[in-house]
Amino acid sequence: MSRDLMRSDEIKAFVRDAYRAVNGSTTRVAERLYSAEELALVPESARTGALGLGNHVRFARIEPGATVLDLGCGSGIDTILAAHRAGPTGRVFALDFLPEMLERTAQAVGEAGLGNVETVEAEIEQLPFADASVDVVISNGVVNLSPRKARVLAECARVLRPGGELCVSDLTIDEDDLPPEVLTHPAAWAG
Amino acid sequence: MAGALAERDFVAKLERAGFGEVQVLEREPVSIDDCALYPLFNDEILTLMRTLIAPEKQPAVGIAIVVRARR
Repeated sequence: MSRDLMRSDEIKAFVRDAYRAVNGSTTRVAERLYSAEELALVPESARTGALGLGNHVRFARIEPGATVLDLGCGSGIDTILAAHRAGPTGRVFALDFLPEMLERTAQAVGEAGLGNVETVEAEIEQLPFADASVDVVISNGVVNLSPRKARVLAECARVLRPGGELCVSDLTIDEDDLPPEVLTHPAAWAG
Repeated sequence: MAGALAERDFVAKLERAGFGEVQVLEREPVSIDDCALYPLFNDEILTLMRTLIAPEKQPAVGIAIVVRARR
């Protein structure tokens, strides 16, 4: 089968394996995206595992007491920044489909001394939350990894309360600029 | 990257999902050198990109956007 005709589960398997193999040993991505003040709030274990694309938390309107959902929390850097903004009366759900990532986030949250974060193992296409139960959805470079983006966004809309906001960083491309050899390479599904 | 959408398609999917007030707040070009910062891009695909993507396109093989939208 041509790699650009892979089924959803095959794409997910590529993504899962690629992220599972990351050892999180560089702070280069974190230093590129976040200010020194932001990084000062984040334990080294979260800084070294940062794989996001942008700094959308800076733009997210997270009020004290807010309920926030971080889709694809990875090593937890955005979860921790959001948890500081939500404060002790708020709550952040750090969701990922890899237990390894959730362990990293839980470790970093513990090192940061935050008590308002809960890790959740789930797929972003099927969120285990009630309708209208979340104030803000954040996500960093994760929606593009899903073979079912419309489903992901519909789930975000479902769990957000009326007036709630989604604020995400994601990658966009012009397919005409990229050769098929690149777009069909397995590593391109995860990176 | 293989699953990424064009910006207009991303915004259209948000609107179809029921979001309004969709705003693209930031657009940052992603170069091949930026991709090399991520361990998700191995040497094989980086070499492919440097070989096959036109030199004038290499400073912006994708655009990282920040989008905010209201339910």
